[in-house]
Amino acid sequence: MTPIIEAEGLTKVFPGHIVAVDHVSFAVEQGEIFGFLGPNGAGKSTTIMMLTTLLRPTAGHARVAGFDVVRQPERVRASLGYVSQDLAVDDNLTGMENLILQAGLYHLPRQEARRRIAEVLHLVGLAHRAKDRVETYSGGMRKRLDIAAGLLHQPKVLFLDEPTLGLDIQTRREIWRYVRDLRANTGMTVFLTTHYMEEADLLCDRVGIIDRGQIKAVGRPAELKAGLGGDVITLRLAGIASTTEVTAVLRRIPSVNDVRFYNGEHVITARDGEKTLPLVFEALQQVREKVVAVTLKQPSLEDVYLAITGRGLRDDQESREDAIRHRIRMRRVRA
Amino acid sequence: MKLPALLVDSYWVFWREMKRLLVQRARIAIAAVQPLIWLILMGNAMGGLTANPTTARLLGTQNYLEFMTPGIMIMSTLFGGVFGGISVIWDRRTGFLNKMLAAPIKRAAIPVGKITAISLQSVVQVTFIAAIAAAMGVHFATGVPGFLLLLCIMILFSYGIAGISLALASVLRSHEALMAVTNLLTLPMVFASNAIFPREAMPTWLKTIATYNPLTYAITPLRTLVLEGWVWEKIWPGLLAMGLFAFVAVMVSARQFARSGA
Repeated sequence: MTPIIEAEGLTKVFPGHIVAVDHVSFAVEQGEIFGFLGPNGAGKSTTIMMLTTLLRPTAGHARVAGFDVVRQPERVRASLGYVSQDLAVDDNLTGMENLILQAGLYHLPRQEARRRIAEVLHLVGLAHRAKDRVETYSGGMRKRLDIAAGLLHQPKVLFLDEPTLGLDIQTRREIWRYVRDLRANTGMTVFLTTHYMEEADLLCDRVGIIDRGQIKAVGRPAELKAGLGGDVITLRLAGIASTTEVTAVLRRIPSVNDVRFYNGEHVITARDGEKTLPLVFEALQQVREKVVAVTLKQPSLEDVYLAITGRGLRDDQESREDAIRHRIRMRRVRA
Repeated sequence: MKLPALLVDSYWVFWREMKRLLVQRARIAIAAVQPLIWLILMGNAMGGLTANPTTARLLGTQNYLEFMTPGIMIMSTLFGGVFGGISVIWDRRTGFLNKMLAAPIKRAAIPVGKITAISLQSVVQVTFIAAIAAAMGVHFATGVPGFLLLLCIMILFSYGIAGISLALASVLRSHEALMAVTNLLTLPMVFASNAIFPREAMPTWLKTIATYNPLTYAITPLRTLVLEGWVWEKIWPGLLAMGLFAFVAVMVSARQFARSGA
């Protein structure tokens, strides 16, 4: 079966030689929930905007539902639903009116529009608030309405750009549940971006790890984590011996796959974490280093991310203010 | 096939704009009060001018309000139109513009729908002004048929101005820049036209500017319809110019929106 989304060498260069997306290639199968995981500014939204025909690629090709995004943009638009990170609902209209407008823009016949509006309102749990102005909605309700609008025309592919950005954890879980139910009930393909590793882990069938405009790895979350080769041991040390010395002795342990120093901690990936731990303590005694704190856990996607890129997912989010400014800046260069 | 799709898509954009307008009561109130202030203020302040027979001859009427009414109509339409682009910038900031651009609509429907909504608001406003003016004793030389033609010219002028505003908004991308450019152009455009003062009373250099000002093209036929009657040789050049102005401006803004994205 041919993939429903295909990208080949997809590249976007913004004025000033800013390479936002750098020769990205991937394929998404029908019915998958596929996620792009990466920090802000990694090129996730820019990729979505190329796939939804909002930005023209500088180089490369992409096909969505069998149509070329550059040569057949109108066919592509008719096949997809797009929910941006902006909460793009009209606050002056009621929830119902927002959906009536959406139905109009997607050329749904009147009867069918009425039926589907009732359906999606029920699906996102907003039926009782449909006649209220969106102004009076909470952030989570707005997001749900926005997703409902994206679903209304039963697109072949639903694009969700940072679907839970800025939402509290409870609302976030709710959104995840809606997305999963949706796929279970309709078999719709979902392409989403996120910088929450938990979201990628719990929601996505497959994840593409994107860093500085490039795809570094693609796979099932479990595969990616297994690819690390075992468990993750995190050490906080007193700092008596030098980092290079510590790293060297730790690497000599046979069951240790990798050692990285990140954020003041040594992060070790190793087979059989429980059995490796005593060996780690022994090795540290050789260099007269003392352990301040230690944790042993199953690897998360964040550890995968760290192992692949050498950086944490949170590196690019210094503060909320910076994140906002970054978004405004990115929007300005993108638009 | 192509035309109906554009019409249907434009209708939905228009529908949204009207819904938005109807919930913003303050906007409606201001749209009603503003021309009222103009009429009363200008009518009273400048009313004395017509006591001077030379001025009365230049104005072409004994009643300054009669001279001013078409000017106030056109200014209301002008101000309604020039700020049309603001809604595009707002839509861009909230992400709604991208939502519309990602929908399978004719992209030209976005400017066409928005401009049509602006134009309809102007029609309502101008009708309101006409009613007030009539109540204040302004006599319309060509009656109701003349007023309908006046509305047609006003619609074309509104399409032209709003079209330019939307095209500018698609380039400028910020409220501040759009406001600055708009302010830079609007007031000189008003004063260098025969909206408030008759062209005959202007110094030669200003007269030259006023002659080529699109505002003058719009006002001359309006004023003729209000003050003089069916003097076609003074009506058709303006009507033609407005038709051309509207066509070009709408085409330019449609092109701007069609080009955005892939």
